[in-house]
Amino acid sequence: MAAREEIPALWVEKYRPRRLDDIVNQREVVERLKRFIEDKNIPHLLFVGPPGTGKTTAALCLVYELYGEVWRQNVLELNASDERGIQTIRERVKDYARTVALGDVPFKTIILDECDAMTSEAQWSLRRIMEMFWRTTRFILIANYGSRIIEPIQSRCAIFRFSMLSKEDVAERLKYIASQEGVTLTPEGLEAIWYVAGGDMRRAINLMQAAAAYGGPVDDVTVYKVAGRARPAEVHEMLKLALKGDVIGARQKVYELMINYGLSGSDIVRQIHTEVFRLDIPEPLKVEIEDIVAETDYRLVEGANEDIQLTAFLAQLARLGKKLA
Amino acid sequence: MSTPSYVPWTEKHKPRSIAEIKEIVGEADYVDKFVNWLKNWKPGSKAALLYGPPGVGKTLLVEVVAKEFNYELIELNASDTRTESVLRRLVGQSSKTISLYGARGKLIFLDEVDGLSGTEDRGGVGAIVELVKVSMVPMAMAANDPWDPKLRPLRDVSVMIEFKRLRMTSIIKHLKKICAREGIIADEKALRIIADLAEGDMRSAVNDLQAVAQGKSRLTVSDVSWLRARNRQYQAFDVLRMLFSAKRCDDARGVMNMSALDYETLMLWIDENLPRQYTDPEELAKAYYYLARADVFLGRMKRRQRWELLKYVIDFMTAGVATSKIRPYRFTKYSFPQKLLLMARARQMRALREAICERIASKCHLSKRKASTEMIPYLHVIYEAPGLAKKDISKWLRLDSSMESLLKKQG
Repeated sequence: MAAREEIPALWVEKYRPRRLDDIVNQREVVERLKRFIEDKNIPHLLFVGPPGTGKTTAALCLVYELYGEVWRQNVLELNASDERGIQTIRERVKDYARTVALGDVPFKTIILDECDAMTSEAQWSLRRIMEMFWRTTRFILIANYGSRIIEPIQSRCAIFRFSMLSKEDVAERLKYIASQEGVTLTPEGLEAIWYVAGGDMRRAINLMQAAAAYGGPVDDVTVYKVAGRARPAEVHEMLKLALKGDVIGARQKVYELMINYGLSGSDIVRQIHTEVFRLDIPEPLKVEIEDIVAETDYRLVEGANEDIQLTAFLAQLARLGKKLA
Repeated sequence: MSTPSYVPWTEKHKPRSIAEIKEIVGEADYVDKFVNWLKNWKPGSKAALLYGPPGVGKTLLVEVVAKEFNYELIELNASDTRTESVLRRLVGQSSKTISLYGARGKLIFLDEVDGLSGTEDRGGVGAIVELVKVSMVPMAMAANDPWDPKLRPLRDVSVMIEFKRLRMTSIIKHLKKICAREGIIADEKALRIIADLAEGDMRSAVNDLQAVAQGKSRLTVSDVSWLRARNRQYQAFDVLRMLFSAKRCDDARGVMNMSALDYETLMLWIDENLPRQYTDPEELAKAYYYLARADVFLGRMKRRQRWELLKYVIDFMTAGVATSKIRPYRFTKYSFPQKLLLMARARQMRALREAICERIASKCHLSKRKASTEMIPYLHVIYEAPGLAKKDISKWLRLDSSMESLLKKQG
């Protein structure tokens, strides 16, 4: 049952490198990984680095080149932050590792992304799972922060550190994509993307695709327009209404966010956190507000009522706003 | 077309002309009575006092008539203390004043005059009576219960116009019209249940219809079954009034025993109406601090099965809220918890967003959480922009039209 390969419509996926050699920067990482392929053997691997620097891509390229045609049958992709706890991970790994690897590589590979989302207890279980199946299975663990991975796992893995991409690397890739897609990318547009996304390639490419959707050239104006649009304006308006003392109006915005965007209370708090620093208010007040945001966030994580906690937050904001006037 | 955005149907589908109102209420005489009063009004004439149960169209009639006869309508909330000074200024001006809008004259409308507290209030009954006598512009008022003894002086200077509860047939007819406009095929029986529960209150009937029918293409009896809970709202209004007016902790805490509402439901009612009752930011912030604390303890109690914590939940939500007030209690119009009406819709949209995230996650090698924060914001932009990329993306991610319209929502 050969799945027909579709051309991905999202550029991040369409231009994801398929071979290790195509990976931008990360020379050192790539050279070491290529040696594993020659040996047809890999240890457990731990990829660590900031978002959008090619960790998942490197893992995928590695398995494509290692297994060739039969990579699908030999690779299991899991995401730690999506699986419901370590039990489900254990079950899925167990089922998977039971069958024999196909082709000339004697083991299967499990890519486990966003490992730093796991609690340390879950990581201890993971460590045992890695030991249990070491004859038949290799793990590629991926995380943003190495320090959040427990020592015993680190010591069982070959660690690869992915560095932030340089401006030149990002620019080169964006120019290539733009030329392939027939999009005009102006130097100012490129500069703006770098300003907004930094060395995060995923964000840079997403920005460019969204800016190109307006139909014209990708210049600084469209890029900043996208960056501004990519967060709901309602959050900003909600904060301003509350600061003006209109708690009922601000709460209406909360409902709109929930209904029009399908956001949860926690999603909204996350956006509030960023927006507070963009408000035109005295700096110490921003910190005072963040203090309330933090408490609200924590309560929601603990399962409190979204509506009551968010309105309570808005009411506090109205009180602080009154002092401003 | 069903868009996910929320516009109250009571606004969207309200009658816009006198003819349309007559079509709904049938041969009821109050429409003509009010029109005639306005036509014949001259300085020294009586005011008009429109009275009747909530949601029968008192305010609406005033608005529509003013518009049709080209009056500039000035609506004031009678329980607002600023009202008196504003009124004094307005009634002194001739009705022939040429206004900016080129209107023929002004019409002053005082809503909820039964909210006036007689003697204490500076904009009280006595003051209004005086103003009616000297006014150069017509004044109309509305009340639910005009037979309150303290309103007697107002009755003496007013033409009384009674509004009756709307009949079932009128309500059903209007609901049918809304369903037709919204493209909903509704069972007659379901509409009958909604109309029956509304007890002659068109506004609540339309609100209920929206709560159960928005976004659906078909409305059946089983969709409306949960609405029956709404009937208890009048009782909830009384409980809220007792709670918000309590001066002592014990009085506030006692409210819980008098209420047939369970504490979680009461909490939602308080949450909905707190910002209406407490308008001073200080008292509102303080009251919400306690309500939020009550909610925190409710969570602890349920999670750890420590039922003895319930007393703190109740203390905070009753005594904590009641003692946070700085100003004396004032009459407030309470509302049914909107959240209850919106929750179903919010849940639906959340599930939809989740489904989009899942599809992105499976195609783009990232978690659903990252799909939500890293990808969806850009998709919003792409779907709102004129470019054609969205067609390919929908196809690639297998998004259906409801998912597309969620992504288009960015405005």
